[in-house]
Amino acid sequence: MTSPATLTATAPARPARAPGSVLALVVLGTGCLLPFAGASPLLLSLLVQAIIGAMLATGVGFLVRQNGMVSFGHALFFGLGGYVLGVPMAHGLLPPEMAVLLALLVPALLAFLLGLVITRIPGVAFSMLSLACAQTFYEVVLKVRTLANGDDGMSVTFPARLFGLDVGLLQDPRSMYLICWVLLAAVLVGLWLFTRSPYGLLTLAIRSNEERARFIGYETVVPRAAVYALSAGVAGLAGVLATFYNGFISPDMMHWTLSGSALVMAVIGGTRAVWGPALGAVVFFFFKEIVGDATEHWPAVIGITLIVVTLCAPAGLSGLLARLFARRAA
Amino acid sequence: MIIHILNGFVYGGLLYLVAIGLVLIFGIRQVVNFAHGSLFMLGAYVGYAATAIAGFWAGVVAATLVLAILGLLLDRAVFRPLQDQDPIVTLLVTFGLLLVIEDLVRTVWGKDTLTIAMPDLLSGTLRIAGEDFPVYRLFVILVAAGMGAGLTLWLKRSRIGLYVRAFASDPLTTGTQGVDTERVSAAVVALGAGFAGLAGIIAGPLLALSPAMGGSILIESFIVVVVGGFGSFSGAFVAALVIGQLQNLGIVFIPSFSTMIPFLLMMLILLWRPLGLTGRAA
Repeated sequence: MTSPATLTATAPARPARAPGSVLALVVLGTGCLLPFAGASPLLLSLLVQAIIGAMLATGVGFLVRQNGMVSFGHALFFGLGGYVLGVPMAHGLLPPEMAVLLALLVPALLAFLLGLVITRIPGVAFSMLSLACAQTFYEVVLKVRTLANGDDGMSVTFPARLFGLDVGLLQDPRSMYLICWVLLAAVLVGLWLFTRSPYGLLTLAIRSNEERARFIGYETVVPRAAVYALSAGVAGLAGVLATFYNGFISPDMMHWTLSGSALVMAVIGGTRAVWGPALGAVVFFFFKEIVGDATEHWPAVIGITLIVVTLCAPAGLSGLLARLFARRAA
Repeated sequence: MIIHILNGFVYGGLLYLVAIGLVLIFGIRQVVNFAHGSLFMLGAYVGYAATAIAGFWAGVVAATLVLAILGLLLDRAVFRPLQDQDPIVTLLVTFGLLLVIEDLVRTVWGKDTLTIAMPDLLSGTLRIAGEDFPVYRLFVILVAAGMGAGLTLWLKRSRIGLYVRAFASDPLTTGTQGVDTERVSAAVVALGAGFAGLAGIIAGPLLALSPAMGGSILIESFIVVVVGGFGSFSGAFVAALVIGQLQNLGIVFIPSFSTMIPFLLMMLILLWRPLGLTGRAA
């Protein structure tokens, strides 16, 4: 522990966000070292799932942060990424590389089109609509058996190489962990840069007062749809990674309980910071591993956690951490 | 064909009973109750338990009363303390409640589906236009229609009904006119929850009871509320009937895509009128 005196002495000399980026680099570096530090494949495999969850939660949280919209339907884009990748792969409908590209694009594209309609609806009504949209598509993949065996889901086999890369890398816990970790970092940095760009600031302005932004002369529907598309694209990427890693798609990927979990992760982590939901997801995941074994009442535990966090710590874990750091720096 | 249309009314009626509760609660508290589907589900289970002890009719009464009392508690413990917060906070809290209630029901009654036997009085069929139609389904239509008519009369004629309508259009002014906000809203939330409970028990003999049964009706009620225009009683009535018909015809003719129809209808209506059929600015 450094003494308070040294902290106050060094703090004003540095630019305000330097400690943040140093910390971020340390976390990123430590994460990359994990597979080489003797972490077991089981732990790495768990971490892969946690990071994929973190990416989904990041998408949900980003929408809250940037648009002020609480989505109960992001599993739609997660599942869509998986289905657009898996279904053509299994039925040989498209060149595999094409399927990968489409799987990355289609969720964002669909979100953009949906967003042009539903992001105009504010507040709680948006939440209801997002849920209704997602559940509609869920019912379709559940009932249309020719798509991917309906309810049962379908295992997906990939060609050995895609874009000249060995697909096995995406299925081995060690390499997949590294890939997911770096991708998550890239997504977080990308979203963080977006929040600081003029366009990102415009979306924040629309979030805080849509009418005023419109009166200044900005078009306000497309930016909101664009943020929705971006957050859906992140969720879709998570779905693509999950499909590669598990080699399996099923309607559960689109079910609203997954949307709900992602939202809970984002709320636990706090959405004021771009990285909050990802932190929340990792905590959520390990909490689940510990509690989920001990009790069958996992949903109730999550429900109560959600209520407590919403009421007692609305800024979530990231908010608590930020306050802690602010107090120490002061 | 007439049978299909009647079946559409059965589903539309149930949808109306659930959606009108959402509309009532939204009108008075400006919040969306995500746990409303769970109240429907809980109504079915409470009805199941009471039916096993004292028969179907006791089940109907018990489900409605127990859920109405739960509604009172819900208003006291959740909606009232959170009324000055962002509606999103209430939404997240009620979502948490949904998870807790489902888990509770799963613990008490188990995961497996249960069925409620039809009362003997209503178990026959009736010949309509040359085809047999179960009397019980007619009963469901009549209950929903009766409740709808009763509610409309209550809203239009009674003093509390007047307050409720006043609230839905301007809560602040209504409060400053000396109306006891808390009592009116407690009564309204209790009524909404009671309707959900009633819908749950009368849907019981038609559906299989499972802890997850509240999910799909909640989502379709959302569509009804949005299409009808937020907080509009008559809009919800029309939307519930239309969506009930479309949903049922969809199940008959294009089963795989039946849920697509209400969804597409919703999208079209939102494109045409972003605030719903009877929409007014929130």
